[in-house]
Amino acid sequence: DVLTSRLKFIFGPCAVPALDLVDQRSVTRVRAPSGRTLYQVLGSSGKLYTCYSSCHFCTCPAFGFSVLQKSESLLCKHILAVYLSQAMGACQELAVSEDQLTNILLAEEEDEG
Amino acid sequence: RGGLAERLCRLQNRERSAISFWRHQCISDDKSPSDKSGVLIVKILEIFEECTIQVAICQQLEQSHATLSPEDAVINAEEPILKVLFTRETAAHLKSRPQDVIHIYPPWQKLLLQNADVPVIMNTYFSQKVLLSEHSEAREKTYGLTKMLIRKNIISLAQTFRLDDLDDKSHKESSDNQVPCAPQTHNNGDPKQHPSALSAINDSLLEMVESQGAVGWREVQVRVVIQRVYGLPAREGYRSHTHGSKPLLSNGGMFCRLCLLVQDAYGMFSEVQLQSLSSTDDIEQYCRRWEGKSCCLAGMKILQRTTRGRALGLFSLIDSLWPPVVPVKVPGQSQDSEMMTTNLPPPSFCYILTVQSGEIHVEVDEEEQISNLYQPPAVYGLKEILRNDGCNERCSFWAQVLYRRLQSKHSVPVDQREMLLFVTDSTLQNVVHGIPKVVAVSVTASCVLSMEIIEALSAGSQLVFFKDALWGNGRIICVERTVLLLQKPLLCSAADADLSELTGPVRLDELDSTTQANSICALRGTVVGVNESTAFSWPTCNRCGNGKLELCPQDRELLYCNQCSEVVTTPVLKMQLEVFLSCPSRSQSTVKVKVWHEITLFVLLTMPLFPQTYEVQSVLGKEVGLLNCYVHSVTSHPNCIALEEIVLL
Repeated sequence: DVLTSRLKFIFGPCAVPALDLVDQRSVTRVRAPSGRTLYQVLGSSGKLYTCYSSCHFCTCPAFGFSVLQKSESLLCKHILAVYLSQAMGACQELAVSEDQLTNILLAEEEDEG
Repeated sequence: RGGLAERLCRLQNRERSAISFWRHQCISDDKSPSDKSGVLIVKILEIFEECTIQVAICQQLEQSHATLSPEDAVINAEEPILKVLFTRETAAHLKSRPQDVIHIYPPWQKLLLQNADVPVIMNTYFSQKVLLSEHSEAREKTYGLTKMLIRKNIISLAQTFRLDDLDDKSHKESSDNQVPCAPQTHNNGDPKQHPSALSAINDSLLEMVESQGAVGWREVQVRVVIQRVYGLPAREGYRSHTHGSKPLLSNGGMFCRLCLLVQDAYGMFSEVQLQSLSSTDDIEQYCRRWEGKSCCLAGMKILQRTTRGRALGLFSLIDSLWPPVVPVKVPGQSQDSEMMTTNLPPPSFCYILTVQSGEIHVEVDEEEQISNLYQPPAVYGLKEILRNDGCNERCSFWAQVLYRRLQSKHSVPVDQREMLLFVTDSTLQNVVHGIPKVVAVSVTASCVLSMEIIEALSAGSQLVFFKDALWGNGRIICVERTVLLLQKPLLCSAADADLSELTGPVRLDELDSTTQANSICALRGTVVGVNESTAFSWPTCNRCGNGKLELCPQDRELLYCNQCSEVVTTPVLKMQLEVFLSCPSRSQSTVKVKVWHEITLFVLLTMPLFPQTYEVQSVLGKEVGLLNCYVHSVTSHPNCIALEEIVLL
């Protein structure tokens, strides 16, 4: 309870949805043989978002809006879910080939463009 | 649902009710609650905001010091420093300033981070400021208009990916990256004067937009370049206030506003809606005087922030002005002289601004030179435009209007009707085959036309400059933001366009198997039949051609023309007749042409009693020369084409 209330204090409106995502085991760590990883989170709308492990980024529109553009928030619920899942060991694991990981990363690029 | 989220939800609800209860208690009781155990007393040294959390660097005070006034409390260097976090709501409630003393009631949390030596205090929902009344006024004056410094610790991606240079740049990073993002306006006593704000002319539209609502935003001026001037139809019944009691005149029955498409030094566009146009105003004048010049905007109100998906018309115009012809600045950086702007993507959003009523906030430097940023419309020949593959692209051209066909219902005033203009230029006329000689340009009701243009188009064949018409799906249409001008603009980039006048008579395409509806063509053939049921005749005034003659009130045998205000003694009889032609150029179809025939007085006297019979006898077998016609409809089963004889302007 102490920890959850601290989470709420710092992260505000992201906290409850993030915990919800953790409850539902929506976070998957995707790993390639080279050691490159990224996280995929199944959002509440059913859409799959990618969170980078190497830097602070998520492909969801809320991230682009609240974090990057308006600087209203430190992170989005998906990134918070990733951190929480990591800490609690609640990540699902998925091993893919190098090409598949590249495709996931490139697919995100095409969407933005 | 079970699980952590639900737990947090329940916790959140409990906390929320506790907080509001506590706050309510604070307001109602003037004194602080008696239970002082576990209270953290801090004095704020420094305060800043980061991502909506307010961070206060404080010094923890001993219990006994709380009773003394802030000035008396000596800052003991040994007292522990704390970083206290407040949420946005708590911060708003507290309205803290440096030197304030805050009492933080339990339950609050202390967090010791591994790599930081300053402990962090969180969950500070129950905080109260200790206010000593005699000092509060002084405090208000000094800090009245200070805006919160938003400190951002920008960690460069280079650092994250460990791409740092070997020389110790990382030490400098922490201090350099703290960018104060909100401007501080210091109030030196008189709140009405903001000398620094007025004189500074900004060059970023985005900054002006983001400073809306902040102190002194009305004085913020932005310097922009006017790329385009046009009129936009306003909503029905919309009225804006003008100076004094001048009645609002609309531009030919249609309310419209003068608008500018402006661009700032960063390449960002904005549409500025100015005052309503009266019928005496001429868009052409404004275009000539203002396009390409710099101007200062001040005190704009944001009407809307629109995106590409919602305002296709506006963005097709913006796309025609992209990429910018000179390098534009990149926000946030110190400006480098070599800046690559070739790879900048076209803008995806645009602010629509409007003036506050009653005041003019746009100052155009009419004397100044045309700005380098200005992109005049690129003029092409019609042949070039028709060959273009693009869709929804803006194009500009200079063409001769041959024929005008009004489209809408007769109840709508002339100037608001949609019309079809048939135009041509030398690039089309001089072509042998494959490309039509005449193109139909559809002018929709949303395209604002000045009275001058409307009158000119009714009068006769005109050379018209179509600025920023829309080309797509094989058609040219004039929509919102298209401007029709009678004179060639002073500045236009003519890429291979032959803007010479047409020499020789205009030729229309001849009727053939490819002729489509709503086009004009020329035909020749032989009369093979007459549709007698549709033939009728009516008298017209021989002086002015008025077709609506009336019977004289005095003498019911005579005809009277109310346009000339005189009796018509020798009316000209006009007959409308539908004839069937056999045209060699389109031999498979039945060609039905509505023709007009004028019969002068001489023929009238010698004419037998029934004009229709006369016509049939005389016209059957007659050769019809090159007749200019408008195609009404084309049907394939039966194979029939219905046309109407027209007179070119």
